[in-house]
Amino acid sequence: MNLRRIFWLLPIVLLPLPLWLNQYQQYVLNTALLYVPVGIGFNLVVGNLGLLAFSNVAYFGLGAYVSGVLMAQFDVPWWITLLPAALIGGAAGAIASIPALRGVRLFYLAIMTLAFGELMRWTYIRWEALTGGSMGMAVPVPNLLGWTLDTDLRRFYVFLALVVMLVAITDRLLRSRFGRAFMAIKDNEIAAAAMGIPTDRYIVLAFAWGGAVVGIGGAMFAISVGHLTPVSFDLTELLRQFAIIMVGGLGSLTGTIIGAVIVTVAPQVFISFPGFDELVFGLLIILVILFLPRGLASLLARAHPVFVERYYRG
Amino acid sequence: MADPPLLSVRNIEVRFGGLVAVAGVSFELRAGEICALIGPNGAGKTTLFNAVSGNVVPDAGSIRFRGEEIAGLTPHEISALGGRRTFQNGGLFPELTALENVLVGLHVQVGSGFLGLLFGSSSARAEVAATERARELLWLMGIGHLAEQKAGELSGGQQRMVEIVRALATNPLLLLLDEPAVGLSPTARQQLAVVIRNLARTRNVGILLIEHAIELVMSVADRVIVLNEGRKVADAPPEEVRADRAVLEAYLGHA
Repeated sequence: MNLRRIFWLLPIVLLPLPLWLNQYQQYVLNTALLYVPVGIGFNLVVGNLGLLAFSNVAYFGLGAYVSGVLMAQFDVPWWITLLPAALIGGAAGAIASIPALRGVRLFYLAIMTLAFGELMRWTYIRWEALTGGSMGMAVPVPNLLGWTLDTDLRRFYVFLALVVMLVAITDRLLRSRFGRAFMAIKDNEIAAAAMGIPTDRYIVLAFAWGGAVVGIGGAMFAISVGHLTPVSFDLTELLRQFAIIMVGGLGSLTGTIIGAVIVTVAPQVFISFPGFDELVFGLLIILVILFLPRGLASLLARAHPVFVERYYRG
Repeated sequence: MADPPLLSVRNIEVRFGGLVAVAGVSFELRAGEICALIGPNGAGKTTLFNAVSGNVVPDAGSIRFRGEEIAGLTPHEISALGGRRTFQNGGLFPELTALENVLVGLHVQVGSGFLGLLFGSSSARAEVAATERARELLWLMGIGHLAEQKAGELSGGQQRMVEIVRALATNPLLLLLDEPAVGLSPTARQQLAVVIRNLARTRNVGILLIEHAIELVMSVADRVIVLNEGRKVADAPPEEVRADRAVLEAYLGHA
């Protein structure tokens, strides 16, 4: 099992990668990185806990706006805004878990939580004093302890460190009694309770933790694009995020990483045909559901047992 | 002078709308005792189980577990007190491996805290220790080689064994087994009987057993409670119930 440790070499191998890329490619790479935490939170709830909650874009947008507004209007340094972005994302997650606690499931839960994201988008449009309304707002150039993050190259290294940390924490969480409890609730909620798992508390925990991680992804998005508009948090964005976890593999951490890269990079092929990128997500989702219902990560798992997702240590 | 019985059920009543599923049943179970619950389909056996395990809140009556009232507690609270159950139609987590299933059973015992887990190492050690324990138990019950297989891919008999290992991993005081012999081969049934008897005799677990496999009931039970239409119609040692031809004819469909 210690073979798994070689995975931690991956970020080291990635260190020199942006040096071979042009500035636009570096930006795409950063986008792929920031979609890893966004996918982690989404996958935790949909893939591991098994609840079809579509409120992910709400946490994403909240994280982005909390970070952006705090920086632009209150001069808070970016790295400090990560904390409120995570806290508010987490609180939004806890709120979004209420229908699930009331026993709302499947399609009904999907629709109710989808409305949450749309409600937040409406809020960004209406709360012009803070968000600049539909015209959007500029996000100041971030500063990390005196180091200006004014290029995509610099942001890459900060993002990489952050993503490695979040992936490590998520891996640890999933391979503990918490990760097992989420899977148990997905597989058989009644039996999970019979094992002594307070299922309600775990549902809130998964939503809140997921929301917090997505909120951090939102704060990364804010400084990566440098300009926030409500349009970035619409249903197309939700589709993109859903494509990440579907294509990568539901309930798979490896899958989230693969999905984030594929869904970000694949549309670049069609960059000169506007509108085609949405077609690409749609096509990717259809192809994966048809031929690889457990996502691309399942191909890896089939290739070598080291890629099989485990929910225990030792 | 005497300790309170492990489980004491008094005048339990469970209604579903107009239907009275359990109508005033009382019985007691001592530690180390094996008690079988039999009766035709719809007699209220599983409903009675659900009331004891907290899956159904009884409309009237009291359920005391080691002298403490548990009627109305949630399933996870009763489970944490030491009352465990298995399910009729497979209570396993099919996407998890056999080992992970047993580990979920140990959920309360592992006790790793959320923040400690993210940043500390003692919680991580508790996790590793629990994994070792679960592996050991699987080997002990002769299914150690299945540890890494997904529970949903195991045969019916193997699933049954995993479910029992999972239930007893926590050293429960009370075990509710809902038709554990369904889908088992005759040899596996004999193994199951040995396991059940050992649990009661050597570990002093009180066992309540719903079972249609009458030979298993007769071979393991100290006492047999017969239910019909939500009422208790007999509560006696197996040989007496067996001799009671009326009970057999009416509730087991053969004389």
